[in-house]
Amino acid sequence: MRETRLLMICPTSRLTPDVLAREIHATGKDVKIKETCYGCLIEGEREVVREVTAFAREIDHNAVFSKRRAYKAGDPVRCRAQHGTRPGFAQLESEWEALPLIKAGLDAADNGEKTEEKPGKKKLPAIRFKEICEVK
Amino acid sequence: MKVFIDPPNSLILFDLVERFGNEPLSTMAALQERVDNLEIDMPPMNVTLDDVVKGLKYAGIEVPSGVRGRLSIWGPMIEAADAAIVVEDAPFEFGCVGCERSELMVKYLIKRSGKPALKLKYPEDEDEGKVFVQKVKEFLEGLQ
Repeated sequence: MRETRLLMICPTSRLTPDVLAREIHATGKDVKIKETCYGCLIEGEREVVREVTAFAREIDHNAVFSKRRAYKAGDPVRCRAQHGTRPGFAQLESEWEALPLIKAGLDAADNGEKTEEKPGKKKLPAIRFKEICEVK
Repeated sequence: MKVFIDPPNSLILFDLVERFGNEPLSTMAALQERVDNLEIDMPPMNVTLDDVVKGLKYAGIEVPSGVRGRLSIWGPMIEAADAAIVVEDAPFEFGCVGCERSELMVKYLIKRSGKPALKLKYPEDEDEGKVFVQKVKEFLEGLQ
């Protein structure tokens, strides 16, 4: 069964999509690779794709993230090169920006570091709010 | 363990759930079946009329068809899942995934199913990122 994977590089990483694609090519695994601006797309049989994903994650520790993709790599419905729509792009971009924070979290988890959760913001009491609003 | 993720196409959640040794249930897998098996030639129509009808199992007729269409895909995944991780307050820029009504229905379905669920918010600084990963890890380890 086909599986297409999206590999995204954390923006703080020094790894480039070109290097990532070359490293995967060098494994000699039977997968199709498409280099993209954020990382690359890999496509092939499920087991092989999973092996390659595990390998890609080790290239730069905790800096390569992956998820499945419904459409094939270069599918004309979705491919930008053929003016395909990309409805999930805003979300992907937003999550890409948060990847350094997740990387920091993964690094901390690897080191066994524990972080205390900050207390949430409290609501401003109405009396205090009234004091702020009142012009003296 | 099968873990439903919300937003169901989240890169961060998909990666974390898989990284910690569980199977994430995502929209992408459900849509791949449609892409491979059905003719979908009018982007972004990933949901057919039949799906909207199937969505009636999860939401009433008065619910907008868009929400029902989404639930026809997400509903079976919630049923198949052993647990769920939900990131709340998705920004509106997330498109249909940022739909507040769909999110409310998803949270309701998860609560009704009685399955363990973790609710989080997207991290905004490094400490929040650490807490985010820590919570996901502890939650997933607790499921084993």
